[in-house]
Amino acid sequence: MIKHQVIFLTGSIVFALLAIFSTSSLMAAQQMSKPSPDCAFTTLDGVPIQSLHAFQGEVVYVDFWASWCPPCVKSFPFLNQLEHEFKAQGLRVIGVNLDEKKADAQEFLDKNPVEFDIVADQTKQCAKDFEVIAMPSSYLIDRQGNIRYVHQGFRQGETDKLRLMVEQFLTEKP
Amino acid sequence: MVNNKKGSHRGDSSHLIVDSCQSYPIKITSVSTLACATFSESSTTTSKALQALTSAALVLPGLLLTPAHASDADRINFQFSRYQEGKRDLFGVPNNLKPITADVLHGSGIFSLTDRTKFNFSYTQDTWSGATPITISPLAANGNRPILGNTATGITTVGASPIINNSQVLLDRDLNPLRQDSQNHQLMNKDPRSVMVLSSASPETRNQANFGLSREWNEAALNVSGGFSRERDYKSNFGNVSGRLDFNQKLTSVKFGSGYTSSNISAILDHDASPYITKTAFSRQIESRGGSEILQGNRHDWTGNLGLTQVLTKNALLEANIGYTHSNGYMENPYKVMTVIFVDPAVLNNNQTTPITGDMRALLEQRPNVRNQVAINTKYIQYVSAFDAALHLGYRLSTDDWGINTHTFDANWVQPIGSGWTLTPRIRYYSQDAAGFYNPYLFSQQTYRRNEVDSLGRQIWIDAKNPNIQYVRDSSFNLIDQNGNLVNEALLNVQPKTASFDAGKLPGNFSSDHRLAGFGALSGGVTLNKMIMKGVALEAGFEYYTRASSMQLGSGGRNGFADFDYYVANAALKLDLESTNLSMPGRNLSQHQDSPTHHQHKAPPAGIMFGHMLDKPGDFMVGYRFMHSWTNGNMMHGAHKVNDQTIVDQGCDTTLCRFTPTYMNMRMHMLDIMYAPAKWWNIMLMPTFMDMDMNLRTLAGRPAPVPGVHEHQGIAGHETGAVGDTMISSLVKLIDIPGHRVHMSLGLSAPTGKVDLQLRRLFQIDGGLIHFGMQLGSGTWDFMPNLTYAGEYNRWSWGAQVNGIKRMENQNKSGYRLGDVFQATTWGGYDLTRWLTASVRGAYTVQGAIHRDFNSFNARIGPMDFPANYGGQFWDIGLGLNAIIPGGRFAGNRFSFEWVQPVRNDFNGFQLERKGALSATWSYRF
Amino acid sequence: MRIRKIITGIFMLTLSIGLSGCVSVAAWERGNLAKPQMALDPHPLQSTVRMHNYGSREAAASTHSAEGGGGCGCY
Repeated sequence: MIKHQVIFLTGSIVFALLAIFSTSSLMAAQQMSKPSPDCAFTTLDGVPIQSLHAFQGEVVYVDFWASWCPPCVKSFPFLNQLEHEFKAQGLRVIGVNLDEKKADAQEFLDKNPVEFDIVADQTKQCAKDFEVIAMPSSYLIDRQGNIRYVHQGFRQGETDKLRLMVEQFLTEKP
Repeated sequence: MVNNKKGSHRGDSSHLIVDSCQSYPIKITSVSTLACATFSESSTTTSKALQALTSAALVLPGLLLTPAHASDADRINFQFSRYQEGKRDLFGVPNNLKPITADVLHGSGIFSLTDRTKFNFSYTQDTWSGATPITISPLAANGNRPILGNTATGITTVGASPIINNSQVLLDRDLNPLRQDSQNHQLMNKDPRSVMVLSSASPETRNQANFGLSREWNEAALNVSGGFSRERDYKSNFGNVSGRLDFNQKLTSVKFGSGYTSSNISAILDHDASPYITKTAFSRQIESRGGSEILQGNRHDWTGNLGLTQVLTKNALLEANIGYTHSNGYMENPYKVMTVIFVDPAVLNNNQTTPITGDMRALLEQRPNVRNQVAINTKYIQYVSAFDAALHLGYRLSTDDWGINTHTFDANWVQPIGSGWTLTPRIRYYSQDAAGFYNPYLFSQQTYRRNEVDSLGRQIWIDAKNPNIQYVRDSSFNLIDQNGNLVNEALLNVQPKTASFDAGKLPGNFSSDHRLAGFGALSGGVTLNKMIMKGVALEAGFEYYTRASSMQLGSGGRNGFADFDYYVANAALKLDLESTNLSMPGRNLSQHQDSPTHHQHKAPPAGIMFGHMLDKPGDFMVGYRFMHSWTNGNMMHGAHKVNDQTIVDQGCDTTLCRFTPTYMNMRMHMLDIMYAPAKWWNIMLMPTFMDMDMNLRTLAGRPAPVPGVHEHQGIAGHETGAVGDTMISSLVKLIDIPGHRVHMSLGLSAPTGKVDLQLRRLFQIDGGLIHFGMQLGSGTWDFMPNLTYAGEYNRWSWGAQVNGIKRMENQNKSGYRLGDVFQATTWGGYDLTRWLTASVRGAYTVQGAIHRDFNSFNARIGPMDFPANYGGQFWDIGLGLNAIIPGGRFAGNRFSFEWVQPVRNDFNGFQLERKGALSATWSYRF
Repeated sequence: MRIRKIITGIFMLTLSIGLSGCVSVAAWERGNLAKPQMALDPHPLQSTVRMHNYGSREAAASTHSAEGGGGCGCY
């Protein structure tokens, strides 16, 4: 009977490890180059403002977030820092809010004011166009309007890579 | 103080120790001379009877591990819980045995080591005491006998005696128990009712610790954890591995896990019960040591499970789980016995109609060595937007090869009610079928023991010194051997040769543990959660549970005598480390990180209480403090070692001492909660939890045991543990200039710790109140003033404190009060690095002896039972280390350790040497 | 009887896995699922206490289930 249990236990551990190593190959961050969709942004109250293509010429950091998403909230200090450091060089950080209830987003921003632009995507068309499958999702768009880097999720240790990417896109020649 | 007087209440009410019983239980040598045997007149037992709460738990701690909630933020939790059962129904037999109570202390934490790795640990300590059933027997057999005693208010019930052997159980020809009127001994109708026979116990403590590591990938997670559980007679080690895989954008998660538990049972059989329990089936596992019998066993459990969580809609999700557990080894509860009533078939079948007597015996229960269980669990969670609440519905089915099928239905409604409050009412219904081998009691148609006869029908006799030779008697009753020769009986120790019952005629497995019976249970409770400020939450819960055999799904209602109920109340403090540390988005992070070391003053050594204050109004501090002190080694009188004979003669006031302590360890757990309403004023609350253990030995030169007087038996000592006194204090800053601070604190100690703990009653002798030193609190309101000075310059720090405890009442509930305390202490510290400080401290403490004395019975067996042997003057040195985490994720957490070494003791009276104490504290400001 | 129950359980599990393909909840629609009251165990400290109490008074098997799933689906 002991033999059964040992086999069972080792079998489950092996299965676990295999499964994990196979799925972890799923990239949470990808480099690419494809034209970004045009997004119709509105303010939180629904008033339409500039669309995404209007920002061509600047490096745009599009971050899809919602008030109920803890990693989104944790990314805000970093986004504020990026805004501080690189605004002069042509970086534009846009936080696209995907809360279903505007009141939730408003309440959150009242308590945690941010320095970068906040817009809303009421029809969620922008999120669909960008194929957002995770929260938060960050998209780095270069000066020509191409999506160059997609990053899903947020953890403190990933900020270095993101900053590197931003610098790269700010300084590259067309 | 209270003794049973044999025969003194003859002719009185039914509540008597049966007349023909002897006053002092004697091992059964000859069955015929004793009509019944009581094993104890117990009100409280030195444990062994029932504790091993892990064997009391049919589910092992390792199998209940909830894995690290890896998706949670870093946190630290403290929780206290109190479990209280109601009294069991003894059908009118007066019973003042205390029902089971348990106090549980729990602390746990989850810490992120890196972005994707978390470490979690938890520590739980349960202390249980109270009366539990050892067996079930027919009500008519009078298993629970009350003991009466003379008190100031007249004759009252002072305890109950469990009776597990009774050779005079009256039965009718259909084996129904018959009730006998105790006054006129007239036979009444048959009484088919059963009753639980209770025995009670002193407190016992179990400790459990778990550790785990978990790793998160984007769509997967893996947890590895392990731990152990320890109590006096049960040791368990466990480990498990579990993980999760996400699919479909995390809408579907598959979870898996497996674990292994290895346990060792080393049960000290109840010293008083053991002679009356038939243990032949386990004789190979029982060893005798130091006057006690110890049953050894091992057990292994393997478990595996597979589960699935599936998001159904944006407002609902479903979880399903299947688990399998395989257990083998010693599966019994060593403290439970099966009542078997042996009926002589010759008498039963003799064609008469008069009632017969059955011989009621107790056999250690026997369960199968293997158990395979399967459980299927489903849960459905639905968000109800109208109320912003969530409905959780669950159903679980479990089945095993013991025949126990169970169903559980539960429903929770989690309702946030604004301002950070959440209210969760809950209801649960549970039903289980009986195990195939469960029976309240058994009949066996054979005699328990019979005199053997040879082929000619002559009774066989043997010489106890040489049992292999058989003799018989001739017609003149002379002893003759096998060859017909006369034998001189005076040279031998001749006894009838007896044969025991045939165990093969009994079922292979049997148990009367009511937890294996068929029953239903309904429970309802509520949890209230309040977010106090960002990252600090308080949670309180309450639940009432009732077990009723009639509530079993399907059939039921046949073990109503085993019904009971309980309530649980608990309170918890939860700290979310990330929220409290997190600065507002937009603020400069680096500025925040410097502040912990910048504005916090150096802390005093760990052994100092009320030694520092918070500076900013609105600041909070939460801390945990642990103190462990050891006393063992030599007995001292004043400042000198003393020999046993002196202790015997002088240590016990006007009587002679018989026992002395060999060791006594005390552990104190304290939660410090401090708040600064203003810059100059802090308030502090410190609930405490104490546990202690000790053992005794006989003094050389002690007087001989006297019948009727309490003795300490066996190899096990005593333990106590439960909530201690609670301290509230107000700290006021007097001087605060750069480099020097003086503050004063006025504290009050509320007597929430019990001072009326008792020892079990043994051999019809009251145990009485347990020694002064083992009670859990002072029992009085105490005033605790203190004045502290602290200074610092560069890497140096120093300080001094005078403090005292002044008892504000003349006596506590048990009639005495502890001595007042005065202490003066001074310390110096040096910063070894930016974050580590070493300290040296000297302390002088003087404590008065105990005033007055116990107001109810105490057995007075040794110097620790006398008030004059407490207190004294003590000179100690402390060596300590303080550390603070300067920056990073865990900035602001402080740890300190101190070892206090006694340098000189001048005890009042006779006391055990002090060997030192260790203090360890953790605190966190926010 | 026991075998039948086990088979039913496995059937339910596979059915659920099959169903998972039909469900589509977008990443931004998971706000309600992320609320603390929708967690698989909203009061883990309470659960630990209760499971221990039930386990010491009842004979049911425990399913020690691994943690995870549901919730905000955040990375």
